[in-house]
Amino acid sequence: MSKSEVREGLAFLMPLILVLVIFILLGVLFTVMDSFFRDVTYLPKKFIGLENYAALFGDRAFRQSIEFTFLFVLVSVPLEVFIGLVIALVLNESFPLRGAVRASILIPWAIPNAVTGRIFELIYNYSYGGANYLLRTLHISSDPVHWLGDPAGAFFSLVLADAWKTTPFAAIILLAGLSAIPSDLYAQARVDRAGFMQRLVKVTLPLLKPVLVVTFLFRTIQALQIFDIIYVLTKGGPGGSTMSLSMYGYLSFSAGDFGYGSAISVILFLMAFGFSLGYLRLGAFGKEIS
Amino acid sequence: MRGKIRRIKFILPLILSHLLICCSSSQEARVIFAVGGTPAELKGWEQLVNGFQWRSGIPIEILLLPADTDQQRQSLIISLEAGVKNPDVFLMDVGWLALFSHSGWLEPLKGIDTAPFFSKVIELSDTYQGNLVALPMYMDGGLLYYRKDLLNASGISGPPKTWENLLSTSLLIQPGMRRERPDFYGFVWQGAEYEGLICDFLEFAGSNGGFILKDGLIRVNTPENRHAVQFMHDLIWKYKISPPTTYTEMKEEQVRRYFQRGDALYERNWPYAWNLHEDEESEVRNRTGIAPIPAPRGAESVSTLGGWHIGVSRFSDAKPEALEFVKYVTSYMGQKKMVLLLGWNPGRQDLYLDREVIEKMPHFSKLKEIFQNAGPRPMVPYYAQVSKIVQTKINGVLAGRYSSDQALKEADEEIAALLKRYRIE
Amino acid sequence: MTEERLQKLLLTLGAFFTFLFCLSPFIYMLFTGVSLRPDFLRPDIPFVPTLSHLDAVLTSESMHFLSFLRNSLIVSALSAILTVFIASSAAYAVTRLSFPGKKFLMIAILAISMFPEVSIVNYLFKLMSAMGWINTYPALVFPYVAWTLPLSLWILSSYFARIPQDLDKAGLVDGCSRLRVLLKIIFPVAAPGIFSTGLLAFILAFNEFLFALMLTTDYSARTIPVGIAFFQGMHGRIPWGEIMAAATITTIPVVILTVIFQRRIIQGLTRGAVKE
Repeated sequence: MSKSEVREGLAFLMPLILVLVIFILLGVLFTVMDSFFRDVTYLPKKFIGLENYAALFGDRAFRQSIEFTFLFVLVSVPLEVFIGLVIALVLNESFPLRGAVRASILIPWAIPNAVTGRIFELIYNYSYGGANYLLRTLHISSDPVHWLGDPAGAFFSLVLADAWKTTPFAAIILLAGLSAIPSDLYAQARVDRAGFMQRLVKVTLPLLKPVLVVTFLFRTIQALQIFDIIYVLTKGGPGGSTMSLSMYGYLSFSAGDFGYGSAISVILFLMAFGFSLGYLRLGAFGKEIS
Repeated sequence: MRGKIRRIKFILPLILSHLLICCSSSQEARVIFAVGGTPAELKGWEQLVNGFQWRSGIPIEILLLPADTDQQRQSLIISLEAGVKNPDVFLMDVGWLALFSHSGWLEPLKGIDTAPFFSKVIELSDTYQGNLVALPMYMDGGLLYYRKDLLNASGISGPPKTWENLLSTSLLIQPGMRRERPDFYGFVWQGAEYEGLICDFLEFAGSNGGFILKDGLIRVNTPENRHAVQFMHDLIWKYKISPPTTYTEMKEEQVRRYFQRGDALYERNWPYAWNLHEDEESEVRNRTGIAPIPAPRGAESVSTLGGWHIGVSRFSDAKPEALEFVKYVTSYMGQKKMVLLLGWNPGRQDLYLDREVIEKMPHFSKLKEIFQNAGPRPMVPYYAQVSKIVQTKINGVLAGRYSSDQALKEADEEIAALLKRYRIE
Repeated sequence: MTEERLQKLLLTLGAFFTFLFCLSPFIYMLFTGVSLRPDFLRPDIPFVPTLSHLDAVLTSESMHFLSFLRNSLIVSALSAILTVFIASSAAYAVTRLSFPGKKFLMIAILAISMFPEVSIVNYLFKLMSAMGWINTYPALVFPYVAWTLPLSLWILSSYFARIPQDLDKAGLVDGCSRLRVLLKIIFPVAAPGIFSTGLLAFILAFNEFLFALMLTTDYSARTIPVGIAFFQGMHGRIPWGEIMAAATITTIPVVILTVIFQRRIIQGLTRGAVKE
């Protein structure tokens, strides 16, 4: 490694480093700083140390938003990874029209979250939405369901809308993992007269483990931040039951309290960071990077 | 050679971005007027704005904001906190006026005589640190709309004066109407989780309820309020005279359309709905009456004071021109146009005595008194957050998430924590 | 039923379910956009096709829909282009040059990509205010570039890694600078990967919501996701027909791009691991 090579390396890297530092890294540092201030549009700016955090600790709405966010991650991520796995298994086999099915799974991913939110807002509409229509036509229930009308219903509705949007992403990553499994391993298993389920459990899943971990990680980080769909579909309601951490931080900003909002987003950041570290420890990452 | 190319790689994005800035900002110094609202209102604004432009020669452009008041607030806060020069002049909901004035975003308005306006409002909300910073464009107070024809048909002589009466008459009439109209409900009102919910709540609570400001604290956990919230809940779930979508979807326009389709007996809404109900295509044309908001038992009725105020941005690059526009829309003639064309309730008291106005809008005499006595919401800069806390709790009760006791108790706790944080004691 | 038949059945069901699951909301959106009334699913209401919603969305000035669309397209395109250049440059360094701390750098970049948007939006707001960029394109382009760089770097690194270094050596021997090698030799060879990266960056920028919400204030720079979230139409009630028509116009280009280039996108997202 010569000196000029190092200099060259740096030169090629500089734009990327600059952009990431200026627009992201400094951002987090600044936000952390701001969280130690009383930064409210109609009050003089003042250093208040950990007071914002102390206030968060006693803030019921904040606690509820953490509960909701955790619950959301706990329910939606495994669900999405599971469905994603099923879809990936299906797409891993060849069958006629596979291309069409593969194209179709990209569509939810390509549509902006805000649009998804509105589509599902219509689907969940009490009087004439698609969901109640399905319930009626499939004779599951003749009374319309007030999907967004109670905490449980709203929660489930959000999970479904989010799953629709993000399961394809999980499916694609898992599909990549599946393709990487050498087919002679399956051939071998067949020779050993292993059935479908056995092949799945003994061959596929173990080899898929690193990819599964990656998928879980990415989806967890994304789910922690959930904002777009909530903003459009429930705005945190009804009665504040679907308030995510991002949403709560945003609400603080839009009421003019930037310091408090910063504190909330620092907590969210720490959670995301904590999860990343946790997954990284599982070691799967060392392989992925190199 | 290498260095040069490297430099180009840096400069190119910079050039691009400067081009972007130049191309995306507007060049002319014109008055940008930000306003949101229903489409009917927008048309009225367009007329007013064109009239101003024609008369004064000052170029002016409307910047349309979303109809939802919270979304308008968010957009304006971003512009103002960032110190951007547009919009120059904008409308503010009286609920967030204090936030804007306390944040130093409003330019003092010079040379305006405030005597013709509703004095209580000017004093409470439009003045800050001795300066006039805003003017009431139009006033709003909650009203009860009712179907005269249906009441008459049931032998009921007039609109209900109490909430109990409203309930009993609804229970009487609703079953019959349901036979032909399966979606008919007795009473439609704003119950979604937004500021409108607070407006309605204050009216259910009456003169002894609402926000209690005492000793620097704001409280809501009182027996009258608990009773009111429980009543709101029962209207939907126990008596079933209000639709289940009340607390998820019902805002002003949803309520108005519901009533206008003929599917409701009573409606709580702002005065703007009157003109639309009397519109050619309305199903309830000539069949609607207005009345003051009913009172809870043992107290007097309260009509929540609403309204929109006009102000000039401190960061505006066209302050004199913006001030001209403010003077124009708050002048006698300007406001009279608003009334005659759109049925708006002006912020100027003197207009309520104008002959033409009274002829066209006979109910204005009632309105004037309502506005003079209407109950304002607390004029504090952090009102938006207090309101959000209470909105969430009340909406939670309507959604079956809390009992009214628990909800208001928690609301008080959270409001106290909020005030403590801001060291406002 | 034999094991094979069972498997085939499950496969068919799975494919069918997948197809339906992914497409039904999308199809519902399409139909509502051209239906006269949004409640056409009710038994008593017929489905009457109409182009009036599309017309209203495209021609109504005050809705500013075309402005939103224009802003989205421009911002996304610029973000994609910038991202590709910056990421290629960095990917080249990572795969071809050795310098200390490479592993640390990659991990740091990966870590940075996990920062939640809301944790940065306040800073970005203050930064853009100070630069006077609020409600202009740079306010969105730069954050979007920063946002998509880690993923782009990841993808391009794996593409570049698979391009044999002999190509470089040949160029270097001929006296080209590293930069020239990158532009004249690597770029053409890695074109598919570069294209996939650009496409992904475009789509990510196109769909972004929070930054657009907080860093812009009106139609001169606001993008489609915010426009659609705030959509209120001309007639007071929620204008589902118009919203869905707007949604259709918004999503059709992205959907077409995705369908045509689905292979590239999938390869991009999975660093070329998915076999045909």
